[in-house]
Amino acid sequence: MTPSADMTCEELMETVTAYLEGALPLSGRERFEAHHRGCAGCQAHVAQVRLVVSALGRLEPAASEDLSEEQAKVLEVFRTRGLHRREQRERDIPLGVGSERAALGDHIAYFWEYEREFDAIAGFLAAGASLGEACVLIGHDIANERLLASLERGGLNVGALVEERQLQVASVRSSADGLLLELDGRIKDAVHRGMPMVRILGSLNWGRGTPGWPSDREIMRLEAQVTTAAERLPSIVVCTYDVTTLPGPLLVRGGLECHPLTFRRDCLRHNEHHVPTARFLEELSTGSS
Amino acid sequence: METSGKGQPPVSLEESALLEALRRGEEEAFARLVAAHHASLRRVARLYVPSPAIADEVVQDTWLGVIQGLWAFEGRSSLKTWIFRILVNRARTRAVRESSRASHTGPLAAESGAEPKPPGSPEHSPPDPDSSPERSVLSRELGERLRAVIDGLPANLRTVLWLRDVEGWSSEEVCSALAIQETNQRVLLHRARARARSALEPYLEDAREGTRRR
Repeated sequence: MTPSADMTCEELMETVTAYLEGALPLSGRERFEAHHRGCAGCQAHVAQVRLVVSALGRLEPAASEDLSEEQAKVLEVFRTRGLHRREQRERDIPLGVGSERAALGDHIAYFWEYEREFDAIAGFLAAGASLGEACVLIGHDIANERLLASLERGGLNVGALVEERQLQVASVRSSADGLLLELDGRIKDAVHRGMPMVRILGSLNWGRGTPGWPSDREIMRLEAQVTTAAERLPSIVVCTYDVTTLPGPLLVRGGLECHPLTFRRDCLRHNEHHVPTARFLEELSTGSS
Repeated sequence: METSGKGQPPVSLEESALLEALRRGEEEAFARLVAAHHASLRRVARLYVPSPAIADEVVQDTWLGVIQGLWAFEGRSSLKTWIFRILVNRARTRAVRESSRASHTGPLAAESGAEPKPPGSPEHSPPDPDSSPERSVLSRELGERLRAVIDGLPANLRTVLWLRDVEGWSSEEVCSALAIQETNQRVLLHRARARARSALEPYLEDAREGTRRR
């Protein structure tokens, strides 16, 4: 108990919270207590802090309120909108393009022809950002940069969104399984951080031919599986398809047959050409499609 | 170390069973969860948004998020911490929207959504156990002053002070819900308590006599 140096009153006041929290190292604690024992002013100060803390812990409610109605509403939401239900979900999430609304689990093919159409899909991310949702970009750097620039032009602080990890750029893997894992990880990370709604914007088609890029076949395997994976994850997935440069088979199979929904001419539509995941994958592996 | 910390591991057996029940859609399990946290969520939401009605909306929105996120929640934190993270995010987003809409009137003004505190609330007895402040000291007047002081704090100080000293959370829980570092949390708590102490000093004079007996 020989303090290295005497603590001043000022120092004691600065460390009182650390002391009360038990966060001071032993030497600091000893110096604190040594000073405290000998200083009436500091004794009063510490006593007042304790009183404030204790008083805060005893704050009485102004009036106790009946929350049963609010709680009943919450239960109703659980009953009607829980993901354990298999029924059609209510479409009430602003998609951010056109004036369409989406539902959790949507997997949408976004066909675009002109660059302004591609730029417009940034609205999907902007809507998410303004609602405090998480956004994940997955695609070629050029596509990502273009989307980010478009968001910036729309008045969003992209740097801050990235820093807060509200906006993330996912890594591109060469296999469908790797890509699925990557997306699954990003979604779960966002959920863990308190953002249980994730918008994913894929533009994998831009990078075709880049070394290490997934082949068309892997992209199709991914697309088919995203539909089922998204069902119980709090996500909406939009995949962009450039109709002017992509080969027909990729547009038809990857775009049309893997997405239960399509977006074209400002309209979101159910897609009758969608092929169920299991069948699609089977046909892909036997080469019969 | 943490005097009020419960320091549970993120996912207890009990909690993973609860999570399973929720995923199966068991309403009773969900009702218990709501009953356990609703009032506290509402109080915390109120720290961010200007009216009780908006706080209620934020809380509703939070529960919707919980419902939607259940399958993707991996239990890297406790369920409680996770729910409050969602709340804090939603409340912040909503507060930004509200402040751009109208001039902000202080939260916690006069009316307060405070409920009776759950058991296990703060004791914060420091390492040496001398002080048990007189209950009488917290007069109605002091309570009112305290609310005004909390109301006047910047949002980050207010939230930390509220969660730690009013709700009785451990520092780990607060750090986790607000996504801040331990040292940062302590700095915020220190500033908030210091401000509260100096604002209330005149009311605390009597207390000095009472706690000198050591």
